[in-house]
Amino acid sequence: MNAAWRRRALTATVGVFFLLLPLIIQERYFLHVLVMSGIYVILSLSWNLLAGFTGQLNLGHAAFFGIGSYTSALLAMKLGVSPWIGLFVGGTAAALFGFLLGIPSLRLAGPYLAITTIGFSEILRLVATNWVELTRGSLGLSGIPMLDPIRIGGVTIRFYAEPEYYYVVLVSVAFTLVFMCRLTRSAFGYSLQSLRDDEVGAQSIGIHTSSFKLATFTISAFFAGFAGALYAHFARLVSPETMSLHLTFDVLTMALFGGLGTILGPILGAVTLTFVSEWLRFLEDSIKLDIRLVAYGLILILTVLFMRQGLYGVLRSVVLNLLPRGHNKE
Amino acid sequence: MAELLRAVDLTKNFGGLTAISEVSFSIQSEDIVGLIGPNGAGKTTLVNLISGVYSPTRGQIYFEGQKISGCKAHQVNALGIARTFQIVRIFPRLTVLENVLVGLIDRKSNGPWKLMGQALLHRSGLRDDRRSVKKAEELLEFVGLQTYCNESAENLPYALSKRLEIARALATRPKLLLLDEPSSGLNPAELIGQIRLIREISQKGIAILIIEHVMKVIMEISRRLIVLDYGKKIAEGSPQDVYRNPAVIQAYLGEEACAGN
Repeated sequence: MNAAWRRRALTATVGVFFLLLPLIIQERYFLHVLVMSGIYVILSLSWNLLAGFTGQLNLGHAAFFGIGSYTSALLAMKLGVSPWIGLFVGGTAAALFGFLLGIPSLRLAGPYLAITTIGFSEILRLVATNWVELTRGSLGLSGIPMLDPIRIGGVTIRFYAEPEYYYVVLVSVAFTLVFMCRLTRSAFGYSLQSLRDDEVGAQSIGIHTSSFKLATFTISAFFAGFAGALYAHFARLVSPETMSLHLTFDVLTMALFGGLGTILGPILGAVTLTFVSEWLRFLEDSIKLDIRLVAYGLILILTVLFMRQGLYGVLRSVVLNLLPRGHNKE
Repeated sequence: MAELLRAVDLTKNFGGLTAISEVSFSIQSEDIVGLIGPNGAGKTTLVNLISGVYSPTRGQIYFEGQKISGCKAHQVNALGIARTFQIVRIFPRLTVLENVLVGLIDRKSNGPWKLMGQALLHRSGLRDDRRSVKKAEELLEFVGLQTYCNESAENLPYALSKRLEIARALATRPKLLLLDEPSSGLNPAELIGQIRLIREISQKGIAILIIEHVMKVIMEISRRLIVLDYGKKIAEGSPQDVYRNPAVIQAYLGEEACAGN
């Protein structure tokens, strides 16, 4: 009871903090980075559901992001569909492809699945590059409409600037977070974890592992596509490069660095690394060297070698050691 | 005793290799059947056929009159057949309690989309379901693991991980339990405990098919033995009969030993 109340109080505090953040720090650049962090949080949580909880190494996650952003952008530009609807249609389009990519995962495991998924995202990147009539090829789509203004009563909220967009992303992150928390704690989530740990063992206790994998690919892709659509209407520019392996490996590094197979881990990883990479961008400008990728590679290697549980694991053991004994079981 | 499982002319080929060749047998409810034979005789293949890991090349398997050959492993389990593995296949990154809780999930409404829907509507997770937790704790107590509930499964010593696998199998409420070498790698003291556990499972009214190399175990607990050699059934009967069967002695010790006998 006590622990439950403490957890609620903590959640409320964190929630209020993030609600008030744009009032405390009003610098637009800072909010811009926060919005990008939020988009990366959704992406790495969705990748983590597949890799961390289900053990399916999907290296084509950028494709889902790209499908979401292109779908929503094109709908808005060509057909005038409201971006608010586009967010969900983009997610759904990605989910459809997620389901299709899930089918080979029923027969392939480990490195073979990884290679197949890389192939999938490269094919989509090439399609986006070469289908010039629709996508304007490597020029990309620019001038994507922003989210439409919302009128509540007499007040009109416009999404021209970072503070408003920040709240859209905050709500999206909160929704994703609640979804992932509930899912992973449930019978569904434990079924995923058991098939990750031992697929034959999971089947022997009645878990239909194929359909769980398909469902997870679909859901994971939905959130990636949703994040892609959020990005499209925020950056107002998408190019085939959004579907490149770069993005997948950024997301992978965030999830691993934060702590694979946990919920808080990918969040910590995504926020930390988004800010680190912005800082590195300044450094790059002054020393004229492209060090961002080197830094990501190093972080990845060091995490795998010395911090298998990720940032979350380290923080957790520090906190557990600080608490008086007896509290450890919480 | 009613007939629970019947295998008819079961054959399994792996490419050119015949692992199981025209094996027929039946298991009654509340039976304890021992499955023995030299290495490579096809014992584990037979268990894999029954549990749906493989489907037979020829022949049928019936469980409570219903044909199960061709069913997938998860379907076979849902019908009431659970198993353990020669090399344990527990879920190492879950806790001991969670391993059993996963086994307890109701398989009648287990479509993933349905489970996902339930997950989103309810705050409480799998571990918050008091009734399941209580049931899981009872099962862990039954196999003697009650003090390890919150331990990560990968930290269990080998003998205890075998017991956890049995508890997880029992969680699926089987009518027939297939045990693939439950005593391998156990020391003499652990062996006695294992025999007692298998007897207690049988007393719950669960039929057991057990693969075993440790003769002490097999002679003490099985009511009936089936002997395989090179994929063929070479003998069947009470442990005493099988023990004296010339074909069995020949399979284990060679022709000369048989002649000397």
